[in-house]
This record gives sequence, C-alpha cells and structure tokens, in this order.
Amino acid sequence: MKQFMMIFIGADYADLGLSPEELQTRMGKWFAWNDKMQQAGVLVGGEALTPDIRRIVGKNRTVTDLTSTEVKEIVGGYYTVKAKDFDAVQEIAQDFPDYDLGGTVEIREIMVFDK
Amino acid sequence: MENQLIDHLFRYHSGKMVSVLTRIFGLSNLEIVEDAVQDTFIKASISWRKQVPENPEAWLTQAAKNRILDIFRKLKTEKNYLPNFYQGANTIAINELFLESEIEDAQLRMIFTACHPKLNAKDRIAFALKTVSGFSSKEIASALLTKEETVKKRLIRARKAILKADLQFKIPQGKSLKKRLESVLEVLYLIFNEGFHSNKKEQLIHKELCGEAMRLCKILLKNTHTRTSESYALFALMCFHAARLESKTNTQNQILDLEHQDRSLWHYPLMELGNSMMYKAVENNEFSCYHYEAAIASEHLKAKTFNATNWDKILYWYECLNSLQPMANHLLTMAVICIQKKDLQKADTYLSKLNANDFEQRKYLFYGTKSDFYAAKKDLKKAIAHINLAIETVNNQLEKEHLVKKKIKLNQK
Repeated sequence: MKQFMMIFIGADYADLGLSPEELQTRMGKWFAWNDKMQQAGVLVGGEALTPDIRRIVGKNRTVTDLTSTEVKEIVGGYYTVKAKDFDAVQEIAQDFPDYDLGGTVEIREIMVFDK
Repeated sequence: MENQLIDHLFRYHSGKMVSVLTRIFGLSNLEIVEDAVQDTFIKASISWRKQVPENPEAWLTQAAKNRILDIFRKLKTEKNYLPNFYQGANTIAINELFLESEIEDAQLRMIFTACHPKLNAKDRIAFALKTVSGFSSKEIASALLTKEETVKKRLIRARKAILKADLQFKIPQGKSLKKRLESVLEVLYLIFNEGFHSNKKEQLIHKELCGEAMRLCKILLKNTHTRTSESYALFALMCFHAARLESKTNTQNQILDLEHQDRSLWHYPLMELGNSMMYKAVENNEFSCYHYEAAIASEHLKAKTFNATNWDKILYWYECLNSLQPMANHLLTMAVICIQKKDLQKADTYLSKLNANDFEQRKYLFYGTKSDFYAAKKDLKKAIAHINLAIETVNNQLEKEHLVKKKIKLNQK
C-alpha cells in the first residue's frame, strides 16, 4: 500500500455567502465522507487550514500577509489515505463534497525514500 | 461515530443568536451581529469535520458569546453606544441573556421588529425569514419565487427603515400590543401560505416555510402576553392545513384538489393538535378570521370522503368569514360550494357580485368557476368559452395543465 495526499483547493467558505442551512448540509457530507474512509480503513490523517496566509518569497525573504479574499484559490485542507494507486484514490475522492462550489482535489503520492 | 446533528440546527441557532446579540448590541448594529453569527457557523462547519463536539448547541452558544468581545472591539473604534460589560455585574447579566427563556424573549422581540408597521409589508416577510429564521437571501428568493436581488433590496430597505424610525428592540406593551400582534400574525400567516400554496418543483423549501411559520407561532404561544385566542386560532389553522400537505400533489407533482386527495395520507397527529389548539382559541368569544378559516379547514378534515363533506356548515363559516373580512375570494369560494351542492341559483347570486378584475393575477380562478357553473347548468358552449379564458390567463404551469384536462373533459361531454 502506498500513501497519498488529497489536497483541497477552492474558495474559502466565508467568501461564498453560504447560509447556515447550506453549511450544515455541507458539513454532513464531510462527516459522511470521513466516516466512509474510516470504515474502509484507508484514512491516515488530515487537517483543515484557517484562511490566513503568510508568504515568504524569494531571496529577499519578502513577507506578505494575505487573506482568502486576496487569493481566489486557497488550500483549505488535506487528507492522507492509504491506497493501491492513483485510480483507487480517485475513487475515494469522488465523495469530496465541494465540487459543486468549484472545488478541486489534487492527489499526490507521498514519496518513500529507500533506506 | 455519531455524527447526526439535529435537523436545521444551524439555521435555528442562527435566528436565536442574532436575536440575543441584537438585544445586547441594539438594532443599529444588526449587520455586524449577523456577520459575526455567520462566522461561527463557518468555523463550526470546518472544525467539526474531524470531531463533532459533545454538545453542538452549547458549542455554538459559547462561540456566539465569544464573539461578543470581538464585536465589542470592532464597535469601540466606531464609538457607538455600547453596554459597559467589562464590569463584572454586566457580564452576569449578559450570561443570563443566553438562558433558554431569555433566548425566546429575544426571538419574540425580533419577530415584533420584523413585523413592525414602519416596515414595508413585503419587506417584513423577507426580513423575518432572514433574521428570525436564519434563511439566506438565496433561500428566501427561492421560497418566495422572486429574484435574489429583490430580496437583498428588501432587506436593505427594512434595515434602513428600522434605523430611520429608531425602532426599539422590544415587545410592545399595553394598548399597542394588540395592533402589533395583529401585524405579526398576518406575517406568519403569509409565510405559511407562501409555503402551502406554492407548487414549485423544489418542494422542500416550501415545506420549510410552513414549518417555520408554525415554529414562530409556537414562540408566540409560549409567552403570556402574545398567547391570545387569535394566536391559538392561527396555529390551529396551520395545523389543519399542514395535515394535508403530503396529499396536495401526486407523485408527478401535479396538484390534486380536495376531491382527489388521498385522505389516508392526512396527518392525524397534526389534526389532533389543531383540535386542541382550537379548544383554547374559543375559550372567549372573540372570533377572528383565523377562527373561521380554521373552522373551515377542520370541516374538510372531518369528512371521511369528499362526498361526506358538510357543505352547509362550510358555507356558513364562509358567510361569517366574509362578513368579518369581505373579499372577492370568499364570495368565489361560496359560489364553488353552491355549485358543488347543485344550488345553482345561490351560486349565481354570488357570481353576479363578482367580475374578473376583482382577481387581478388570478383571473383564471374566476373564469374556471364560471366554467364549472355553466357546465353544471349544462350550457356547454359557455362552459368551454370560460375554460378557454381561464387557460389564457393562467400563469402557473401546473394550474394550466389542470385546466386543460378539465377542458378535454368538457369537450367529451
């Protein structure tokens, strides 16, 4: 089994004007997905990220503080899962709840170094 | 893992918290309050993904309390009037505002604000759905079959009117209470009807409107000052109508009239509840329109089959209703009942008092009834002429299909 990371990219919830009802429904979908992965025993871990960004760029180490309103696409969180290959993770990612909000799931394999 | 949250928890909680925080910060800071409350839900929806708190409601309330300091900081720079709750005693007072009974009190204040006569009649509904019920502009637009932009405009206009009139966040007392309560009941009645009479594809939001109107009406019934026979009668009426909600359309979402509804689908517990509310409503002898409408609705529910309907009694209740509140619609309904009873002479007296222009957007109802009248008189030519007029003037697609079916039947006669 290999390990993969599913990285979630899209608009920040705060900028989408979702209603309390929609937020609750959406959360229910995240619960369901989380449960499904746990029951299948594929879930390794994951975190959600706050929308505050501090960037340090280039050799001058230029520092900028950004918020979600200044960057259209933001990494909102990630899950790490165990799977056979990309196709298997793609299958898992079908249940990502935010495609309808224009969200993206980027699947990356975690590199294993020979000892 | 137990992930099931109470249905609509967020939406209900939104209405509660906006009301409580408005009680603390005043109506002039409503927008800041609404943003702050919205923020707690966004936080919850993300941070709960991994672990739902043991008591989600308490979590949300705590989050709202935490927002108080944030709002305070935000407002301090703007030098608005603010309660000085850095003093210990005031903090206790604020904590008490989050007690269940006080939350209901705050919601009641918000309902009275939303239904204030200083607000434009149409703005009241939108504003109530937003602040008391926690709907978004988009949801309100879809529920009221209007554009989101229109809803936003109404909300802005309502907020402006509140500021301009410097409305106090209070439940009116003494003499003014009666008048203000009338306005509240009217708004709840309209919200319910929007839900009940709409036949749009997305049924869900409309059922929610009915549920919401009932929930708010229940808040009125919990308070001794607003628990009047009129409020009881309105709640009874809602129960009776809601009992039939499931049977109003068939599986293809076509409208079914009372004659063709599957009466076994009628919801018995709601009928029971309506009955017990009705007993409370008639404890004194002050009868309102809601009393008569509830009496009519309950008369329909009593009949085991359509043919067993007691039309005489229903006609009597309509007479009472129409003398209290004369309306073209009532007269038309009375004509329909008389056609039903084959009392065409009486039907004619009602119909002769009416003309199509009394019905504005709903002329087709008038023409449809006229068509039924002539069909009953075996005057097919006039019946067909009127059903054609009805089909020409109807806007709603479902209603149109219903009329076209009727026409086909007429042509087969």
